[in-house]
Amino acid sequence: MMKSDRRFTLYRIGISVGIALLIGYIIVFISSIPSGDMEWIKKMKEAFNSANEAYKYFLTGALVKWRASGASFNQSGFIQWINEAVPIIITGLAVSIVFTAKQFNIGAEGQMFLGAAIATAVAIYFPGIPFVSTVFVILTAMAVGAGFAAIPGYMKAKLKASELVTSLMLNYVAFFMGLFIIKTFLRDTQAGSLVSLAFQKQTMLPLLNDRYQWHIGIFIALGLTILVWFMMKKTTWGYKVKMIGDNIKFAEYSGINSAKMIFQVQVVSGAVAGTAGIIELLGYHGRFLWLYSPGYGWDGIIIATLARNNPLFVPLAALFLSYIRVGAKIMGRYTSIAPEIVAILQAVIILLVTAEAFLAKWKQKSINKEATRSQKMTTPVEVGEVR
Amino acid sequence: MNEMLQGILSWDFIAAGIRVTTPILLAALGALVAESAGTPNIALEGIMLISAFIGVIISGFTGSLWLAILMGIIVGISVAAVLAYFALKLKTDIILAAIALNIFASGGTIFFLAMLTGDKGSSASVNSLLIPNIAIPVIDKIPVLGDILSGHHSITYVAILLIFVVQYLMYKTPLGLRIRAVGENPDAAESVGISVIKTRFIALMISGFLASLGGLFLSMGYVSWFARDMTAGRGWIALAAQALGGLNAFGVAAGSFLFGFTEAASYSLQIFDIPYEFTQSLPFIITIIVLGIYAWRKVKVSGKLGPSNPAENISKE
Repeated sequence: MMKSDRRFTLYRIGISVGIALLIGYIIVFISSIPSGDMEWIKKMKEAFNSANEAYKYFLTGALVKWRASGASFNQSGFIQWINEAVPIIITGLAVSIVFTAKQFNIGAEGQMFLGAAIATAVAIYFPGIPFVSTVFVILTAMAVGAGFAAIPGYMKAKLKASELVTSLMLNYVAFFMGLFIIKTFLRDTQAGSLVSLAFQKQTMLPLLNDRYQWHIGIFIALGLTILVWFMMKKTTWGYKVKMIGDNIKFAEYSGINSAKMIFQVQVVSGAVAGTAGIIELLGYHGRFLWLYSPGYGWDGIIIATLARNNPLFVPLAALFLSYIRVGAKIMGRYTSIAPEIVAILQAVIILLVTAEAFLAKWKQKSINKEATRSQKMTTPVEVGEVR
Repeated sequence: MNEMLQGILSWDFIAAGIRVTTPILLAALGALVAESAGTPNIALEGIMLISAFIGVIISGFTGSLWLAILMGIIVGISVAAVLAYFALKLKTDIILAAIALNIFASGGTIFFLAMLTGDKGSSASVNSLLIPNIAIPVIDKIPVLGDILSGHHSITYVAILLIFVVQYLMYKTPLGLRIRAVGENPDAAESVGISVIKTRFIALMISGFLASLGGLFLSMGYVSWFARDMTAGRGWIALAAQALGGLNAFGVAAGSFLFGFTEAASYSLQIFDIPYEFTQSLPFIITIIVLGIYAWRKVKVSGKLGPSNPAENISKE
């Protein structure tokens, strides 16, 4: 990749985020305009003030506690920020693996859900030995995710059936199966709502902070990040995956069994995705309590896109996403702005970051500049091709 | 067993099945048109949700049913146009762009619902209007036939009609021919003077129109309010129904009815200790198996040297 290319990608992500935040501000501003009889200048002024106030909470709320006496560090916000990043780092990694091979995995959601549901059974009934049973529970979730991902993987590799549709269908199968397992075998009949029995204490993840339930999931997620990075960038397997993504025909001519690789990529991705849900349950909730799919698989797609499928950038993208989410929740607590505004920002960011032609003219200019700077690197074909 | 069959075969059950099928059918026809052009529209879910929202809000705040329907359709088509613009002009991956629009629809409708009504769960406080049911004059007097044919929602009749319209459009009109040509081989289509981008734009907008009708049905017929995420995966189910039925409107309709009726059956079968999770996931399992069989036959026929499936061509572009 040329240097200007990488710089351009960074600029584009920055500009996309900037535009999204601006659109968010405009929406907040409009919804802050007070009703009633007032001079319009006064109305605007008031809307401006309350929009600024809302955005202050939105952009800093996760870290700063605003009090009348002054600002202080917001410990609960910080811990919530880190905790919420954990599952989406993991699904982000899972999706980035398949995206590198130019495959799709919309099934991460189902792999995560079913993995969590079945591992819940282990967390409840397996004897609670510290560390050992925790690892065993996570490995169970991993195996379930891998096994479930093997179905679309096999169908794509052997039958060339679109993994997009099959993995999507399997999300529903996973969701209903998961709920069925919880409802029939693991339900806590004492509880008012449909939740599983509580996990054994020793199986839960160790806590760094008892008051706000800061669990060590973030270190598991970062460990997985390094593992996936190593696999993708430092092993032959990872190189083969990348070759398949870059040019599947070429990969085949150079002797790579593409069907086998496509299958393996899906299974590995499923194994990673499978752990996302149970780690959050083990660290935070202590039981299975999802009646709806929490959407971490979809978040994984956003994050892999933002991180440009580079495992090392996945935690950054996930932390960014969970930062604005926590900020939006805090904003929702202090103002009348619904935190769902984040969804609008997310959509704008994805649309712009993935738009190849967005800012392409500007990219053209920067390529030209680089070309003139280093005369020998001039490649007329490349310059001419960019539309 | 007898009791079970009776539960399934009652007129109420058939009416329920038709009601559940309507939004799936409309969105699935939309999926058919988009897929034919080689641009799968994964944003159907979001388009339905937004149209359902717009229908309730406009009818609630203006009191005009026609304006609500019109705006619901226009906004639905516009969302599809945004998808088309990003995918075709700005070269965004069409799947990712559609996922973004779905996220926007899910969160955005909740946000604006809260902003306009102060309630984040549903539009219960909005006095929105219903699109009426239609009783067919003479037929509704005939005992059995009347129960089946008459008294359904107006959009249900429109949806049934649209099966034929879409089939005619795709296989008997120049536009349909162009859409299919673009979907089958964009380069060949371009070489005979068909504008690939324009044709795909039109196909996506048609699919947006069909999905928006499905959305309007949900909030102005199926129920009389808007609730957060009320589409509940119907847009995805529609994609499954389309995958099941292929590129033929009658096949797609059959797929939609399969999904609609199994969902309706899942409620009646619960009484007989068949868990509804099982009946609910059955159509998805059937779809996966059918897709597997299709694909297996294709692989067997074409062998290793034959053309790869069209879905693969799309992802390569």
